[in-house]
Amino acid sequence: MATVKERVIAVTAKVLKIDAGEIGMDSSFAEDLGAESVQSIELVAMFEEEFGIEMDEDEALAVETVATAIAFIAAVCREQGVEIEE
Amino acid sequence: MEDQAQHTVTGGGKKAIPVPSAKNHPLVDAEEPNLVENTFPYDLPPLIHFENGVTEVIDGRPVTFDFPAVKDRNILITDTTFRDGQQARPPYTVDQMVRIFDLIGRLSGPNGVIRQTEFFLYTKNDREALDRCRALGRKYPECTGWIRAVKGDFRLVREAGLKETGMLTSSSDYHIFHKLNFKSRAECMDSYCEVVDAAFEAGVRPRCHFEDITRADIDGFVLPFAERLARMSEQVPDELTVKIRLCDTMGFGLPFPGVRLPRSIPKLIWKLNQEIGFPSDRLEWHGHNDFHKVNVNGTAAWLYGCDFVNTTLFGFGERTGNPPMSGAVFDYIALKGDLCGLDTTAITELADYMRSIGLPIPDNYPFAGRAFNTTRAGIHAGGLRRDERIYNIFDTGTLLDRPPRVAITDKSGADGTALWVNEFFGLKGPDRISKIKCARLARWVLDQYEVEGRLTAISDQEMEAKTRELLPDHWARYKSS
Repeated sequence: MATVKERVIAVTAKVLKIDAGEIGMDSSFAEDLGAESVQSIELVAMFEEEFGIEMDEDEALAVETVATAIAFIAAVCREQGVEIEE
Repeated sequence: MEDQAQHTVTGGGKKAIPVPSAKNHPLVDAEEPNLVENTFPYDLPPLIHFENGVTEVIDGRPVTFDFPAVKDRNILITDTTFRDGQQARPPYTVDQMVRIFDLIGRLSGPNGVIRQTEFFLYTKNDREALDRCRALGRKYPECTGWIRAVKGDFRLVREAGLKETGMLTSSSDYHIFHKLNFKSRAECMDSYCEVVDAAFEAGVRPRCHFEDITRADIDGFVLPFAERLARMSEQVPDELTVKIRLCDTMGFGLPFPGVRLPRSIPKLIWKLNQEIGFPSDRLEWHGHNDFHKVNVNGTAAWLYGCDFVNTTLFGFGERTGNPPMSGAVFDYIALKGDLCGLDTTAITELADYMRSIGLPIPDNYPFAGRAFNTTRAGIHAGGLRRDERIYNIFDTGTLLDRPPRVAITDKSGADGTALWVNEFFGLKGPDRISKIKCARLARWVLDQYEVEGRLTAISDQEMEAKTRELLPDHWARYKSS
C-alpha cells in the first residue's frame, strides 16, 4: 500500500493538473501550487474519497501545506479507524 | 489635556455651526458580537426608532414635528390600484380585480391597516367589480369611489351605495387655467364647492383630490380653498366632513425641512393641519415617483401629519407610478414595531398573481422581484451559508415566504453552489450538506464558464438536473419521495 504522503501527492497532482515532482512537503496549496477556491474544495473532496474518511470542512480548508495535509489526514484516519501506511 | 476648543461643522462650506469639542472614541472591545438587535430584530423589518422630532421653520417661526408620536398615531394605508394603478395599463378583468381585492384584504389583516381602496364607477365592469368585491364580505379594505368634479356623477356614487368618494379638485394653475379652462380661480373654487355641496346633499363624504398641489399657489389658492372646505364641513355631520388628498401629481414633493413651498411636504401638511385645522385623519398623501422619492415621501407624509398614505400594488400607476403598497407596509411595521395584523406573505402571492396576468415586476424590485433577496457573489453566498442574517434584510422566509437565494453564475463559487443545493433540498442546521460534498457540482458550474465559455446564469432547472446526476445519494434521500 502506498504511504499517506504518496497518496496525498498523487491526488494533489491529479486535481491541480501538475507534475507530482513539483510538489514538495512545504508547498502551499494556494500560493505554490496555484489551488484556486473551487480546487481547494475539490482537493478536500478527493482526499475524503481516496482515504474513505469524512473531514470537518472548516478544519480541512484551514490546512495550507502538503506536510500539514499529510499529518491532518493521518490523524483523521486514525480517529476514524481507517488503516493507512505512514 | 484635551483640546477644549469649540469645533465647527460646515454645511456646503458656508456657515460654520459651533459644536462641542471632539469626543474620544476608545475601542469597546468585545468577544460577543453586538448585532444591534433592538433595531434589527430579524423577525421584523429593521425598526425606525426616533430619538427626537424635527424642527422646521415656517413663516419665520420654528415648528417641531413630533416624529416619535407616530408610533401611537392611527396612521393607515389606502389603495388606488384600481384607479390610478389602472390608468397606467389595460383594464383588469372583473375576475382579476376580485382576486386582487381579496389578496389586499388578506394583507390588510383584521385591523384594516390597508383601510380603503377606490373604484371607478363609470362602466358596467367598474360597477360589477365593486359589487363582487363587496360581496366577498371583507371588512377591509373599505370601498370608496372616484368621480370627476361633476355634480351629476353623485348619482353613480349614491346608486353604488358608497359612503365616500374621491373627486378631482385640481389645485395648480397649470390645471385650473390650462387643463380645466376656468377663467379665474374664484370661478374654479365656486365650481368645486358646488360639487362638494352636492356630495353633502347626497349623503356622501367628499374626498377632495388637490391635484398638482406641489406646483400650486399655496397661499393664493390651496389654503383659501381648504379654509372654505373646512367652513363647509362645520355644517355637516362628522362622517360627511371633507377629506383632503394631497396629490403630488408630478412627484415634485420633497421631504426635507428647509425646502420652500410648494414643494415642501412638511410645510404643506403643517399649513393644512395646523393653520387651516384639517385634522390628520382627514389628510391623505398621494405621491408619484417621477424623481424616485415616492416611498420616502409617503412615509414622510405620515411623520409630518397625514394619517393616510395612498398606494398601489407594486407602484403601478400613472407614468412612474405611485407609492408601492409593499414599501408602505414595511415602513409601517418599522414605525410601529409590530406587524399590526398585516399578513405580509400576501405580498408574495400578489406578486405571483400580477406576474401571472402579465404585469411585469422587475427582478430586483424590493420585497417582490424574483431576485430581490438573491445573491450572486460567492463571497456573499458564503456569508449567507454561515448565517443568513449577514446578507438578508430580515426573515424573508417567514415574512414573505421567500427564503434568501443564490443565483448560480461564475461568481458563485463552492459556497454559492452549496447554498443552492441546501436550499433546493430544504436542509437547515446540522442537516446541511457541506460544500465538500458539492465539489463536483461546483466544478461543473465553473467549467460552464471557464471551459464552455458560457455568459448566462445557470437556471434552476439546469442545477436541478445536475444535482440529480452528481449528488445521487442525496437526491435519493431527499427527493425520491
